Amino acid sequence: MKAFLRKEWMEWNRTGRTMVLLAVFVLFGIMNPAFAKLTPWMMEVMSESLADAGIVAAAVQVDAMTSWVQFYKNIPLGLIIFVLINSGSFTSEYEKGTLIPVVTKGLSRRKILAAKTVFLFASWTALYALCFGITYGYNAYFWDNGIAGNLFFAAVCTWLFGIWVAALLIFFSAVSKSSSQVLLGTGGIAVGIYLLAAFPKLDDWLPAKLMNGTALLQRVVSPEDYYAGMAAAGVIALVCMVTAVWCFDRKQL
Amino acid sequence: MEMLTLNHVAKNFGEKQVLCDVSFSVPEHTVFGFVGQNGAGKTTAMKMILGLLTVSKGEITVDGMPVRYGNTPTNRLVGYLPDVPEFYPYMTPLEYLKFCGEISGTPAREIKSRSEELLRLVGLDKEKHRIKGFSRGMKQRLGVAQALFGRPKLLICDEPTSALDPAGRKELLDILTAAKEETTVLFSTHILSDVEHICDEMAFLHGGKIALQGSLEEVRKIRKASAVTVEMERREDACILRQAFPFLKSSGKNSFLLEEAEHLPKILHFIADRKSPIIRIERQEAALEDLFMEVIGR
Repeated sequence: MKAFLRKEWMEWNRTGRTMVLLAVFVLFGIMNPAFAKLTPWMMEVMSESLADAGIVAAAVQVDAMTSWVQFYKNIPLGLIIFVLINSGSFTSEYEKGTLIPVVTKGLSRRKILAAKTVFLFASWTALYALCFGITYGYNAYFWDNGIAGNLFFAAVCTWLFGIWVAALLIFFSAVSKSSSQVLLGTGGIAVGIYLLAAFPKLDDWLPAKLMNGTALLQRVVSPEDYYAGMAAAGVIALVCMVTAVWCFDRKQL
Repeated sequence: MEMLTLNHVAKNFGEKQVLCDVSFSVPEHTVFGFVGQNGAGKTTAMKMILGLLTVSKGEITVDGMPVRYGNTPTNRLVGYLPDVPEFYPYMTPLEYLKFCGEISGTPAREIKSRSEELLRLVGLDKEKHRIKGFSRGMKQRLGVAQALFGRPKLLICDEPTSALDPAGRKELLDILTAAKEETTVLFSTHILSDVEHICDEMAFLHGGKIALQGSLEEVRKIRKASAVTVEMERREDACILRQAFPFLKSSGKNSFLLEEAEHLPKILHFIADRKSPIIRIERQEAALEDLFMEVIGR
């Protein structure tokens, strides 16, 4: 399994995946505080034209919260890019037949699946932590992070949502033949969950809730409200992984 | 000792039956040619031996152990060269072989020496570029190297020579012949001269069944007694001979083909009595091509 993990790492580096994802998550990490920092200046520049339109721009107060709100707006886009780039992680190997020499050398399919899973989970964790860390650092430097409540709990919720999406990605990779099917499946379920979350009664019980980090920071809701959504994400991810193992064992490579 | 046995193996893809009753066995340290037309089911049979396809009926054993679909422990004994081998394009040949060594559990110190030895064997030792730019022939060579890496007891090659130029083909056949010392080789092909060059035993796959099998000599003997060509010098002698033996078939200017070789003494007697000058009397070797055509009914 270690050898396969090393192969994944080499693949990420040499096909440019590491560079692209690092660039995206670092950029998002910097953009959040930068946006907050630039908001007053932008408002000032635009105030004249706004005044012409009859809108009076008052002085804007920015703080760490502005930057964190931006963070929770940007991170779903980061996650989408992560999924898009990794949608072919399994299927490109099926299409080219590169797993056949690996399996016929006696490496068990479960080890292949485990290696890819560990890699996807670990890379999401690292990229997310990087983005969060950069925003946190800048926010601490410019303002004060103390203004945001439940900061780390909200961060864990969003991270767990990413793990849930990655588990869906692995499940659809184990059952489908092409990356478009993987994207359709993963995207379809995620969008479906969002649509279901529009019903207030269901909202608390769905993983979609985890992406609403801003409400936690503003202390509008308490962490307890998120426990059901966290449990749902955990259970669905676990079911996805167990089913993926079962399907991948029987997959025609 | 049989290294590989297929026992009444059948394979269906939905309604379509690709193999209906295939039985054969491959003894240790032989080169076994698995011959059949394109689409006869050779690749399907090989993929079943590797546990990459389910078996609809029957049983396959490698070194006495049954093959299971999915994760088959018998794959630890097998080296496989697919018909179109594909590798990770971002690796160099040396890196790929190192990866193969690691996943097959070869001790670290052996991996380096074995990789270098195999790359020398297949002529890729000076190749430092990534696999991305490799030609099909180069990929085929690397395929041989990776298949031989774990010193497999059974080496399965799916049409290994079909993409190669004549020089490459000869080299590959030499490698397979040399590999016989260490391993047992099963290779599929539709190029019959390859079979004649290196195989000890062979099986013809046709219509989902083994139509013919045995050692190369046995298979050749199965065919009716070889035909004889008789070529006369003068046209008039040829005409007289034809009149006397109407079963002779014309096969060119003044020459005939005698299919039933038992009539040859009578004909020779006839020619000797008349002192007719002859150019040649030649026995036709039973070529595998003819046999193949007979088997597939053309």
